[in-house]
Amino acid sequence: MPREVASLADILADARVWKLKDASAGLRPSRPVWSTGRSALDARLPGGGWPTASLVEVLLETTGLGEIQLFLPALVECQHRIDGEVPWLIWIAPPHEPYAPALAQQGIELSRLLVVRPASATEALWAAEQALSSGVCAAVLLWLQGTDDRWLRRLKLAAEAGGALGVLFRPERHRFESSPASLRVAMTQGEHETHLELVKVQGGRPGPVEFRLT
Amino acid sequence: MKARGRRTGGRHSQAAASATADLFADGHAGTDGDTYADTGPAEARPGCAAQAIVRAVPPPPQLIARPRIKQLWYAAVFPELMEPQRPAHRAASMLQRLSLSAQQFTSLVSIDMPNALLLEIKGSVKLFGSLAILHASIDAAWSRFSLRAHSAMAPTTLAALWLARAGKRVCIEDPGQLAGELAELPIACTSWDPERLQTLRAMGVTRMGELLRLPRAGIARRFSPAAVLDLDIALARQAAPRRAFVPRERFRERGDFETEIETVVYLQKALEPVVERCAQFLRERQAGVQALELKLRHRVLPVTRVRCGLASITSERRRLADVLDEKLNRLELAAPVRGMELLSGSLQPLSSDSLDAFAGLRGDVRVGGTAPQLVERLRARLGEEAVYGVVSIAEHRPEAAWQRVHELHLTSAVRAGMRGDVRVLDMPRPVWLLDEPVLLSADLRKKGLILEQGPERIESGWWDGKDVARDYYIARQLHGARWWVFQERQTQSWYLHGVFA
Repeated sequence: MPREVASLADILADARVWKLKDASAGLRPSRPVWSTGRSALDARLPGGGWPTASLVEVLLETTGLGEIQLFLPALVECQHRIDGEVPWLIWIAPPHEPYAPALAQQGIELSRLLVVRPASATEALWAAEQALSSGVCAAVLLWLQGTDDRWLRRLKLAAEAGGALGVLFRPERHRFESSPASLRVAMTQGEHETHLELVKVQGGRPGPVEFRLT
Repeated sequence: MKARGRRTGGRHSQAAASATADLFADGHAGTDGDTYADTGPAEARPGCAAQAIVRAVPPPPQLIARPRIKQLWYAAVFPELMEPQRPAHRAASMLQRLSLSAQQFTSLVSIDMPNALLLEIKGSVKLFGSLAILHASIDAAWSRFSLRAHSAMAPTTLAALWLARAGKRVCIEDPGQLAGELAELPIACTSWDPERLQTLRAMGVTRMGELLRLPRAGIARRFSPAAVLDLDIALARQAAPRRAFVPRERFRERGDFETEIETVVYLQKALEPVVERCAQFLRERQAGVQALELKLRHRVLPVTRVRCGLASITSERRRLADVLDEKLNRLELAAPVRGMELLSGSLQPLSSDSLDAFAGLRGDVRVGGTAPQLVERLRARLGEEAVYGVVSIAEHRPEAAWQRVHELHLTSAVRAGMRGDVRVLDMPRPVWLLDEPVLLSADLRKKGLILEQGPERIESGWWDGKDVARDYYIARQLHGARWWVFQERQTQSWYLHGVFA
């Protein structure tokens, strides 16, 4: 039986109630979202896509689960949707060499893609902070083994300041640590396909997402 | 008349000396009012068909400019700079040094590639006493460089140059004498291209005098209007502005500290006004730099050099300061610093690309600045090699189909929709490519891999010794990722080459 509520104020105070007005005001026009290219996933994300000016964390044990495919439609969209100058994409410390023909095949503007290979994790984080806050990048993808909470908070602030989408790829063991990322996604390999679970969604509902990645 | 013009035109390729008269005679037979030998005003020519054909030839300029000419040019030709064992860029830098030295005689020095200098010396004659003294002192200046020089003076640039090339050390002050003085010179002194000179010789023209007697229209049609223009310039019928040599400038400021500086923070503070002055210096010249060097002097130890590269030409104080700060932050001072010196690289003109004056007006969020600034900051700390772009190359071998690029086109505008041609590939390519293909064990291949798509046969590269003959498949690994694998056709062994992520 539903719990009785005293007033409208009580309802609004409930954490599970989410005001549409606030969300849309916050999202438009300075913070657009970029579609993930998959309607099942879009439907679960507030605003209907990857949020810009925020930090997204992807937790996965090994590369090759289709993690780039999750973001490629958004990366292509952000490079080609905006009139005028094509924004930059920066990949910091990727696990392998990004293969140019594959990216060109998918529609990425290669002349606006920068690969950064820092010598240490600290330098990678510093580079990510610089890129996110620069205002010239649409998206910054960062691969890390581990980091502390303080640095993640700095990245989040930098992403908010620069209006960029920050994506951090980390091993799955960090899943149960707290993270300031506004969206956390865990990817695991099942028998036949990749399972995707929203670990944390600011302004949305966590839980597994059912869809085929390929 | 018409028929005659056509006939003559058809014989252009003939270069027999006997044809000379015929070649230039048509249409102008009887009226030699526009040959160079004649210095009087041009006569109105009767309308004829030939005139229509050679409309590109300018009419002979009226000689009104002649009395107004107040220039006197000194030309020096350095035959040694043309020697084949001397590389062209060496000769160019030598000319720069010679020009610098020549600026003691006049402010207007002009380089005439590949081996000559021109000095406008009219205003300097009084200063040096007499023309002869001036001529001798300039000639003496070259001996300091142990170079042989032929020199001459004339009221026009080309006349002086031609006289110098011919080795006639003369001084002509009156433009009226030009035609007479030039007449004896061999035509080679014009340094026109050898083909043109050969044609002239075949026509029996070996001296400038003979050349000047030919009709203008004939020269223009037979060779090019540029040849006529050269002759006009040499005879002061046509003005010929020259580009003056401007010495290369750099920003350079050095200073000593009252007390020795031991920490980088104080060094950065001390550097601030210097960078400000450097930016001011660049702004005043509407130029930018792409490199800076900071020298730190210590008491005993050798000078510490801090070199900074900028991703694009700039004159902005903030960008210069940013790069220096980033470098200094990572610098460990070996010893206290007694003094420092800031040097700029060579000044380069600012292009419209590098002026980002309206960056703030576009309404977009610009917190940290521009792409060049970001790349500079990243490179200053992580190293030049650590920041790069990638390009796709039209090549069948997967490992050769991409390349790293360190020269980034940071300022050129790339607009949405300006897509390069995307090569249509049979199969999708993986996002990750391994540095080297990894050999897969036969066991793994049999039990662990499900081939999903393929084969795509790639056979290529026999011409450079790195030939490949492979069948590529997209394979799903049980409990794992999608891989890009291939079977080498010769050995039948399997390799992992890429990962679909």
